[in-house]
Formats: sequence, C-alpha cells, structure tokens
Amino acid sequence: MGARVLVEGVSKRYGGDPSTPRTEALHEVSFELLPGSFTALLGPSGCGKSTLLNLVGALDKPTSGRILVDGLDIVSRSEPERDTYRRRTAATIFQFFNLLSTMTVVENVSLPLLLDGVPPRRADDAARQTLTEVGLDEKLTAFPYQLSGGQMQRVAIARALVVNPALLLADEPTGNLDSRTGNQVLDLIEELVSARGLTVVMATHSEAAAARATRVLHLLDGRLVAAS
Amino acid sequence: MTLYWALFSGLVIRPARRDRLRFLLTIAGIAIGVATVAAIRLANASVLSSFSSTVDLVAGRATLTILADGPGIPEDVLGRIAWLERIGAATAPAVSEMAAVAGPAGEVVEVLGIDPMSDAAVRPYVLERVEEGHGPGVSGEETLATLFSLFQKDTLLLPAPLSARLKAGPGDTVRLVAQGQERSFRVAGVLEPSGPARAASGAIVFADIATVQEAFGKTGRIDRIDIVTPEGTSLADLTRLQEEIASSLPAGISAGRPERRTETVDRMVRAFRVNLTALGLIALLVGVSFVYNTLSISVLRRRTDIGTFRALGASRGQVFLTFLAEGAFLGVTGGALGIVLGVALARLALAMVGGTVTDFYSPAARTELTIDPSILGFAFLTGVAASVFSSLAPALEAAAVPPAAAMRHGSVEALRRKGTVPLGLAGAASFVLAFLATLPGPVNGLPVFGFLSVFLSVAGSSLLAPAAVTTAARLLEAVARRVLGPVARIARANLSGSLSRTSVAVAALAMGIGMLVSVAVMVGSFRDTVILWIDQTLAADLFVTPASGRSNVSFGKLPQEFVDRVASLPSVAGWDAFLGFSATRDGVPFTVGSGRLDFIASQGNLPLVSGGDPRTLATTVRQKREVLVSEPYAVKFGVKTGDVIAVPGPRGDVTVRVGGVYVDYSNDRGTVLFDREMFCELFELDGAVSVAILLKPGLTPEEGIRKLREAFGEHFAVRIRTNSALRADALRLFDRTFAVTYALELVAITVAVLGVFNTLLALVIERRREIALLRVLGASERRVKEAVVFEAGVIGALGAGMGAATGAVMSFVLIHVINKQSFGWTIATHVPWLFLTAATLVVFVTTLLASWHPARLAAGVEPASALREE
Ligand SMILES: Nc1ncnc2c1ncn2[C@@H]1O[C@H](COP(=O)(O)OP(=O)(O)OP(=O)(O)O)[C@@H](O)[C@H]1O
Ligand SMILES: [Mg+2]
Repeated sequence: MGARVLVEGVSKRYGGDPSTPRTEALHEVSFELLPGSFTALLGPSGCGKSTLLNLVGALDKPTSGRILVDGLDIVSRSEPERDTYRRRTAATIFQFFNLLSTMTVVENVSLPLLLDGVPPRRADDAARQTLTEVGLDEKLTAFPYQLSGGQMQRVAIARALVVNPALLLADEPTGNLDSRTGNQVLDLIEELVSARGLTVVMATHSEAAAARATRVLHLLDGRLVAAS
Repeated sequence: MTLYWALFSGLVIRPARRDRLRFLLTIAGIAIGVATVAAIRLANASVLSSFSSTVDLVAGRATLTILADGPGIPEDVLGRIAWLERIGAATAPAVSEMAAVAGPAGEVVEVLGIDPMSDAAVRPYVLERVEEGHGPGVSGEETLATLFSLFQKDTLLLPAPLSARLKAGPGDTVRLVAQGQERSFRVAGVLEPSGPARAASGAIVFADIATVQEAFGKTGRIDRIDIVTPEGTSLADLTRLQEEIASSLPAGISAGRPERRTETVDRMVRAFRVNLTALGLIALLVGVSFVYNTLSISVLRRRTDIGTFRALGASRGQVFLTFLAEGAFLGVTGGALGIVLGVALARLALAMVGGTVTDFYSPAARTELTIDPSILGFAFLTGVAASVFSSLAPALEAAAVPPAAAMRHGSVEALRRKGTVPLGLAGAASFVLAFLATLPGPVNGLPVFGFLSVFLSVAGSSLLAPAAVTTAARLLEAVARRVLGPVARIARANLSGSLSRTSVAVAALAMGIGMLVSVAVMVGSFRDTVILWIDQTLAADLFVTPASGRSNVSFGKLPQEFVDRVASLPSVAGWDAFLGFSATRDGVPFTVGSGRLDFIASQGNLPLVSGGDPRTLATTVRQKREVLVSEPYAVKFGVKTGDVIAVPGPRGDVTVRVGGVYVDYSNDRGTVLFDREMFCELFELDGAVSVAILLKPGLTPEEGIRKLREAFGEHFAVRIRTNSALRADALRLFDRTFAVTYALELVAITVAVLGVFNTLLALVIERRREIALLRVLGASERRVKEAVVFEAGVIGALGAGMGAATGAVMSFVLIHVINKQSFGWTIATHVPWLFLTAATLVVFVTTLLASWHPARLAAGVEPASALREE
C-alpha cells in the first residue's frame, strides 16, 4: 500500500552564517499526496526540487513546517526512527551515483534488506528476484562500472523496490539518460508502481517526463505556483 | 600563471589544504623515517669523529706513527731507528694510559707519557701558567726548555679547562688511580686548550714518560712512536721509509699513517652501525609507504579534475610530472623536517647511550655531536628519493587518465585488483629468494646477503598483502555476516574495493610488527643465551677490578703484587686472573687474553662450542701449551681446532696451536686465550685486569668482601663485586646496548599505526558520497561507524598476522645469518611469547583506537549535503 504524505508550510533556508549567503530554497510549501498517486515536481534548475525530495525522504530537516507520512510527523522523530523510515518506508533514486561502486549488483540491491536485519541468504535471494523483475538477471555479479547508465538506473529501481516501500522518491531519474532509455526507465517505474500501488514523487525539469505523472506540481523559486 | 603552476596548485596545493591533517601525517611519516636514519648515522659519526680528532690531535705534526700489533713496543727498539734522526726526521715516543681522578666524581682522563726533549717537535704545547720558579714559556724555544724543567718525577701538565674542573692549579696535587692504587701528582703547569691539550675532549694529562711507565707498570715499554719527516717528503718517500722502518723493527711493529687507528676502531663498530642503519631504513620504508597511499588517493579523487586539465590541453607528461612533483614536495618537506628532528634525536641518543659506545673507544672522550652535512644530505636525499619513487606508480596512473571523460568510479580499483594474483606470486618468489639469500657467507665481513634476505622478506609480505586482504575480507564476511550482517559486507566491499590503499596499510603495519617480532625474538634469544652463559662462566664468588670513582667503568690493571697477595689469603680457596691486551692482525682488531687453565680445569666454567667437557680440554690445552679461541675469533678469522695461528708478541709473532673453541658473548672482537703462566712469560706482562676469587666454604660473599678489605686496607683502590652483582651489571649493560634497538622498533610501530589512521581517514574522506548513500538507504550512524571500525580491525588483524609470520622469518635471518656473520655468536632461539602476544595485542587495539576519529567522521557525513558535492 502507498503512503499518504502531507506537507504543511515547509520552508528550508540554507546558510546565514558569514561564509555562505542566505538562500531560501523552499518557502511555505504545502500539498498532499494520496496513496498510490504518481506526482511530478516540475520546475527549472535551482527551484528547490531536490531540496523538497530530501526533506520528504528524511535526508534533511526543514527550517519550519511539518511533513506527515501516514499521519506521523517524520521531522520531529528521533534519528534512529528516521533511519528506519528511510530503510522501510521511503526509497530514493537519484540522477546518478546511486550505487556503491565496491559492491556487485546483487550486493547493492540486497543491502537495504541486510541493513534491516534480513539474513544475508534471504536478502540475496530477494535481490535476485527483484533484479529479474527489472530484467537484469544476467548482470547479477557485475560491478556498477560495468553497466550502462540505463542499467544502473534499473539496479537503483530494483534496490528501491526490494524493501517494498510505501513511498518512492525519484530525483531526475532520467536526467542522465537519452530519451529512449529514459522512457524505458519511466515505463518500468510506472509498471512496477502500479502493480504495487505505492506513492511516487518524481522531480524533473522535463515536461515530457512530467506528462507521465497523474499530477504535476510546479515549483518556482521555492514556491508552489500551480498544481495540475 | 604558467600551466605547471596551474596544474600544481589545482591538483596538489588546493586539495592538500582541504585535507591538511592527512598531508601533515604523511610529512610526519617521512620525517620520522628520515630522522631515524639521520640520527643513527650522526650519533655514530660523532663518536667516531671525536675519537678520530683525538687521534689527530695526539699525532700532532707526525706524518708516520709506529704502533705495535701486540702488547706495546719494547723500549730497546728505539735504538734501531736512530738512523731516522740522521735523515732529518724527528721521533717522539709516548706511552698512553687511562686513569681515574680519585674521589667520588672520578673523571676518567687519558694520561700521555712523553719525552719533553723530543716531543715539542711533534706536538705543539702552549703553556698558560706554570709553577713558580720556571720561565713563562710562550715562544717555542722557551717552551721546550720550560717543558724540560717542568717534567720531573710525578709532575704533570693539564689543560686549563680540566684544571678548572678539578680545581687544581700549578703547585696543587692531583690524585689519580693507577694500577689499583691512588698516586699523587703535582701540577707543574697548565696548558692552553690547543693542540694535544684538546685531545679526548680535553680530558687528558701529560707527564714524563718514565713517570707514566712506572705508575702504570709499563717499565721498558712504549705504546707509540710519532715521526715527523723532513718537509718536502713525498708520498713515495714515505712509503719507502715505512718499509725501511719495518725492516729495522721486529715483526708486528710497523709504521703507518697516524689515522690508521681510527680505521681500526671504525672496523670495530662497523657491524653495529650497519645493523642499526638497516633498522633505520625499515622505519623509513614504513614512512614512505604513506607517500604511496596519499598520492594514490589523491589521484583517485582528482580523476575528474585531471580529465578536465587534460581536455584543456595538459599533456600526459605534464600530469605525470605534477604528481611526481607532489611526491618530491612531500619528500622535501618531510626530509627537511626529518633532518632537524634527526639532529635532536642524535643529541638525545648520545646523551642516553653515548656512554656505551664511548666506553668502547676510549672512556675518557666525551662525545659532542658533530653535524656532518654529508650525513644529513644522505638522509634527506634518501627520503626524497624514496618519496619520488613511491609516487611513480600513482603518477603514471594519473597520466593515463583520458581527457574529459574520466574513467568510471570503481574501474580503477578493479584494474588494480587484477594485479593481486601476479603480485602474490611475486611475493611468494620473493620469500624463496629470501631463503636463498641466507645461504651465502658474509661479504667483506658484512652480512650483505642477510640484509638482502630481510628486505626480500619485507618485500614478499608487502607483495602478498593485496591477496591477503581480499581473501581475509571474504573469509571474514562469510564468518561474521551472521552476527554483523550488513557491516561485514560493507567493510568487505570497502576493503577489497580500495584494495591498493588498504593493502599498503596492511603491508606497512606488517612491516612494523615484523620488525618488532624479529628484533624481540633476536634480543630475547640473545639475552637468554647470555644469561645461561653467565651462569655457566661466573664460577667464582667475588670479582675484583681496579676502582675508578665512576662505578660503571673498569679499566687499567692491578699490579702483580695484588694478585700474589690474593693468592696467599687464607679465606681464598681458588682464584683466577684475567689479563690481556688488544692486538691487530692486518688491521683487524682482536683480544689476546689469559686466564688460569687449571682453575677452569677444576671449575669447568668455560662452555665449549663443540660441547664436550671443558675440564679435560683445559687440562690438555695447558699441558700441550696450546690456546683456546673464542667463537667470534674462530668465525672472524676462519680458524678451527687444530689450526696454527700467529699472535703478535713484543718480539715478533708467537705461533700456537688452537686446542678448542669456547663460547664467549663478552665481546665480538674475538679472543685468543692463553694459560696465564705461558702468557706472562711470552708477552712479558704481569698483573691482572680482573681477579676472580673462590671463597673457602662457609664464607658468605659479604664476609669475603670484608676479609679482603681488611687484608688490603686503603692500599689498593679496588672494586669488589659479588657474583650476583656482576651478573646484574652484565645484564644491565646488555639491556642498555639494546635500548636503541627497542627505540627503533617503537618508531616503526608508531609510524605504522599512524599509517593505518592515515589510510582510514583518507578512505572515509574519499567515500563521503558512498557513506551518504548508505545513510539514504537507512543505515544508522552506528552502522557506518561499525563498518569503519570493522575495517580497521581487519587491517589490524591482518597486519599483526602477516607481521608475526614475516617477523618469524626475519628473526631466523637475524639470529642465524646477520648476527652470526656480524659478530660470530651462536644464539639459541627463544621466543618471548608473553611479550609478543602483549605487543601484538597492543598494536591491534591501537589500530582499533586509531579508527575512532575516522569512524566519527564517517558517522558525521550528512547525506543531503554530501550527495550534492561534485
Ligand atoms: N547545502 C546547500 N547550501 C546552500 N544552498 C543550497 C544547498 N542546497 C541547495 N541550495 C540552494 O537551494 C536552491 C535549491 O536547490 P535544489 O538543489 O533543491 O534545486 P533543484 O531544483 O533540485 O535544481 P536542479 O534541477 O538543478 O537539480 C538552490 O538555489 C541551491 O543553490
Ligand atoms: Mg536537483
């Protein structure tokens, strides 16, 4: 089941100390995501997309505001609880550098399970199965540098899905790929997501990619300007 | 801005500033290595140079010096070289001895007995003050006349600084201990501290030759004749003269350049010096392994920048040179720091252990640090060369980075991983070669192949390190995954993923521990062997040596009168007396000694190399008028039982047959041991350097000492030690001698642990993004920390394990090859298990502790910001 996400009046300011200028990356952002929805965050570079995803993914804390996931505020929770939240509830995919270069494909995918206390053998089995689902059963023991960009993103997707999260956060997952490969990756996300019914947020500055989503949030200079 | 500057500042200086701690550590690593090498050589050279300056100052203007290989020059040979005067050469005979100033301070001084008539032509004396009634003596002529009038029986001259120290001016009395008896001398004059008065760091007094001969029981004998040849004598003339002099004199007495005594001493300590230098070089090797690690990480982290520079037009060569320059920069900075540190260290070493070495050459000389620029240059250049050499591989790798599109992350290490098997094979081959290198004998008296074997072992273990790291990491993951789950896998991936760095850290640690193990085993075995030997040889209850206020130095000898009186004491059940002199054969020094073989025959206190019963051997050797030789002598001169050897005597060589070889750890110069009676007769000597006394049954050592003191009263200034006191003194001396060795081990270990810290720190910095990714996947701070500590644990355990194994191999080489070939001693292996286990554990725990800061750093990585970094 997908998660219900409620973002309430979230602001994020950086800097303010003498060395870095003060920037307000997000200003009073509020919106709600329904379970199983596929939302695109659209906006030009620097508008705050990554910042917002990082906050929802508990990689960072907002300066003010609340973020409720299935009714629980992730901002005010303890660090170990936020670790668990990242492990079990919210999975993130980045534009690049998603994989640990020193681990094989299987090891990369089974890592979140291992971190969650699943015995190694079962974790590796689950990883293999998920990799088969994304069509990478032939590259199990390859290292990341031996993969193409599209293959790497598929591994990243497999790793995000292997823990059965309720929320998938994708920060420009196709930004680094040509349009054909990008489309394949988006197809895969759509397919897997609809099968599992999880909530997806995808940051992008491509209108075409955003068109895949059921809902688009427009972000400009840290403010939500329109929803469609 | 030139391109090179842009490259250097962009690829080296800026990153170094960002990463200050690690760069400082690297520089410190090199500095410590360079300092060690510099300090060892400086301290050594200082001791030698203070000796050699004494030799020069005493030789004065002499161009040739006549010395005896054996126990001095009989005075009557002076007549045989009277012809030298006729060709315009000046000759000056001299007697040199050591004496202690009576009293608690007991400063040891050299006593030079000279003939005032002839000496002024050789040694320039400048008088400062004289006793009343003699001329002031400033000009040369006057000095000669004044000297002559000053040199009466039992008067002496001393340098002004010594006069001030002893608070003894002209007319005052100075009491010196000579032949175990205190004697008074009147100070006739004070010399300006110049020329011979500066010899032995100014701890020297001058007296009439007859006075010294009488006081030290050397009547009829002189130690040297210095010759000043007429001006304009060519080198060819000198050589001819040398031959003519030799033909006028008995065999074993010859003329040569005055410096040859320095050469002899140099030979004596060469083995010691070479051994220490080799240990120092290992410390340096551990130090420069830092450079490789630092640079290799630099290159890896700056691949993108390198690619950009290449795209902007920088050539391969320029990139290569930039990283080589970084290595050179580290080497130069570390080297410069190292020589400063080295000078301080040498000063410390001289202050701490100078005594041991100084006593060895001449107890009177106080050693001041001589800063020899060529030694500093050598240490500095070794550091720079080693740094540049270790930067070669990373620099080549940097040069191979293609323009713009830097290779993908991970592929570089993957390339390096491919080398694991060939490197491992090379490592195994290196160990085979190390074994083969133990087979040949010494080269020119030095265990060259032994050192080669040690270095091959070190190289072998370093080459095997990558294979060991991958295997161990995999094994440990398999074993630990149940308990540690993800941590084991993350650590394994990190270990083999950064193989080139982790294996260098392991290799450096193994080197340090290997050194610790091998030296501990060697010294431990040596110590045990020596203890056993002391127990076997110290058969007597009391040992008497001439006293010298300074309680730990024994020199000079006791007169025959003392020996005779000991022998007749009712409380004495048996006695032995040692008497000897130092001799040379073709410039190689050894000792000619004597003891009572009948005492040995009754006590059996002379363990033999061949085993066998010393009692029967001592008896037959004495009957057949043969000699025994010590093991170092046998090894050094290649002599075995049954051989006939020649020993320099006062009237030419004495030839004797070797009846057996005995075990002796008291000196590495080698000893030819005669029966006392035969020795005294052959070499025209009497008295004793030390007397061993067996007390009548029922007497405790303390009672024995009291009885001796009663018998001799104040007449003899002697030091009497009990069996257990002498034993303790011997071990104390042993431990002091090896203190330097332990200090060196400590240095290597410290540097190696710093190396682990440095590597972990670098790896954490390098992996910031990967750590951030782990956090994104939900790894807690604790997990991230645990992974770093686990990694450190594997490095520590592997380093300890490989170090112990290499150390075992190296200790075998040290004991059976290097030590045997350098000093001639056979040592029974004894492993100090407790110490080794404790030491290895300490190193392992320290390695874990060293991971604390890097682990905290890793846990502090903030995922959001770390992922933003380029
Ligand atoms: N750690 C930080 N310190 C200071 N400023 C920051 C930091 N992170 C983000 N910013 C600023 O916040 C603003 C939003 O950045 P963010 O990365 O969220 O934009 P984005 O929409 O993801 O852009 P892009 O499409 O280029 O990825 C930018 O102006 C950026 O400079
Ligand atoms: Mg972004």
